[in-house]
Amino acid sequence: MLALSVIMILPIIYIFNHAFKPYHELFIYPPKFFVQEPNIQNFVELFWVTSNSIVPVSRYLFNSLFISAASVIGVTIVSALCAYPLSKHPFPGRKWIFATIILMLMFTPEVIQIPRYLVVSNLGIMNTYWGHLLPVLALPVAVFLLKQFVDQIPDSLLEASRIDGANELTVFVRIVIPMCMPAIATVAILAFQNSWGNVETSMLFMQDDEMKNFPFFLSTLTNNLANNVARQGAAAVAALIMLVPNLIFFVILQSKVISTMAHSGIK
Amino acid sequence: MAGVTIKHLYKRYGKDKHAVVQDFQLEIQDKEFIVFVGPSGCGKSTTLRMIAGLEDISEGEIYIGDQLVNKLPPKDRDISMVFQNYALYPNLSVYENIAFGLRMRKLPKHEIDLAVKNASRILEIEPYLNRKPKELSGGQRQRVALGRAIVRDPKLFLMDEPLSNLDAKLRVTMRMEITKLHKKLGTTFIFVTHDQVEAMTMADRIVVMKGGVIQQCDTPELIYSKPANTFVASFIGSPQINFIQGRVQENPQGKLEFHTNRFVLKINEATEDILRTNNQVNKSVILGIRPENVKLEGLFSETIITGTYIDNELMGADRFLYLDIGQEKPLIARVDPDNRFSDNEKVKVELDVSKAHFFHKDTGVRFAE
Repeated sequence: MLALSVIMILPIIYIFNHAFKPYHELFIYPPKFFVQEPNIQNFVELFWVTSNSIVPVSRYLFNSLFISAASVIGVTIVSALCAYPLSKHPFPGRKWIFATIILMLMFTPEVIQIPRYLVVSNLGIMNTYWGHLLPVLALPVAVFLLKQFVDQIPDSLLEASRIDGANELTVFVRIVIPMCMPAIATVAILAFQNSWGNVETSMLFMQDDEMKNFPFFLSTLTNNLANNVARQGAAAVAALIMLVPNLIFFVILQSKVISTMAHSGIK
Repeated sequence: MAGVTIKHLYKRYGKDKHAVVQDFQLEIQDKEFIVFVGPSGCGKSTTLRMIAGLEDISEGEIYIGDQLVNKLPPKDRDISMVFQNYALYPNLSVYENIAFGLRMRKLPKHEIDLAVKNASRILEIEPYLNRKPKELSGGQRQRVALGRAIVRDPKLFLMDEPLSNLDAKLRVTMRMEITKLHKKLGTTFIFVTHDQVEAMTMADRIVVMKGGVIQQCDTPELIYSKPANTFVASFIGSPQINFIQGRVQENPQGKLEFHTNRFVLKINEATEDILRTNNQVNKSVILGIRPENVKLEGLFSETIITGTYIDNELMGADRFLYLDIGQEKPLIARVDPDNRFSDNEKVKVELDVSKAHFFHKDTGVRFAE
């Protein structure tokens, strides 16, 4: 297990080291794992090089952070609002709806790209933050996870609160949500990862460069260049920037996630 | 404070509309302690849940006080309910758990505080007000659940097997506390249990149910001494009542006797009248006699029978003897613990026939005066 965890952590250490390598170290052969002469030249390059361009990197970063934050909030609310009635309110067709959601887990993103484009286009939300947000709001895995969690809340708890005088919204907000916090933390991480690394919405729905996000910018940094040496330092830093928020988000919420694993029997 | 009237209540489930509660009729007086008792699946909890409004009514009417509550949501029925698994909100402190119902009713803060402190004083849970439910023992949790129920001062208390999750010793303590609480509050209590001891010790009246139908509704004394049928007789009392299959016959002197394939018992005059009134002479009946009315050989030789010793159970103050008397089930006798017997030993016991009941062979209904 220890050996495996070392192997798992190596790429993360490599990304950290890579970002601080000067140019000659980036292309040294054989490549070195650890940085020899760390400096922040690559960071300067990333922000300085792009500060002169039409859209500065900070704009891409802002877009990404804003979209990710909005998607975390949005996905959590939408998934919880979907999971609660599916779990605790028997209504006709409930099983079919849940089965459809589970089926959606099996779709690859490519399958739904064209329908998604049509929906976004017809709604007239191209080149808006809604265009980034709406396609990622429905996250089947989040609904599945939350439903499994809500299933475990005893019905008597909800009944007790109804007898106590709570309406459905109060039951949901005061009882169901606090009891699902571990699952919500996990869903938040999933939603963040899903949105933070997503280039699809920028590529398909955003023609305006100002509305594109950071992962898209990262993909353009090294692609389409005449040589593959230029901006490799900036790309190394950008890779680190892509990783760090995920890492921070996970570290903050990790205790809750472990609790989800324990609850859902994944452990 | 209010009584409850239930008229022709039905609950049907599924496509075949199978009725789990059938024609349930009951008048519960104000301040009464009613216990619904019966085996699993007899419909007692479903009935309680219909009174609470947690289950839809298929047919019939429920009145709390004078108000028809069929369509009223649970929160508007002015009731409190205690659940088997306590149903405490795990994310809230004990104080907040108790205060929840009052907050929902938007009471002023000082009133909530006063009510919570008052309830916690009654139930002696003041030291735990800031703790979370998971930091409490089973008994303490049950007290908090009771606190949450009493704090709103409802018209009606509903309790769905609230003692089932407690250990035997704590169950006895809580049993007494709930009875004490009922006396103190003077509110109508409806208590559901499958434990006949709880029913006997707590109830003003017991409702014995089976298959969704009320078998008998009476005081604990009458349920025990005058069971309506074989089911009630066997469900209430531990160890179970003895049932002996036999035939009522008239002897040459014109007296009635109870004949089995192994022995003949003399029937006393009062019982004789009952059997004659019910036209049971020369018919097969079931005799029911409780183990405490089966004693080791006594004074009346006409009611002494001989059984073969099979087994025994020592209960401390008593010993239960299991004797083979040629019936489907062994005869249980409650005797002094000092009596010991060896396997297959012949044991003479006297049946106190004056305390015995006679039941219809097919319907199981007791022949009454």
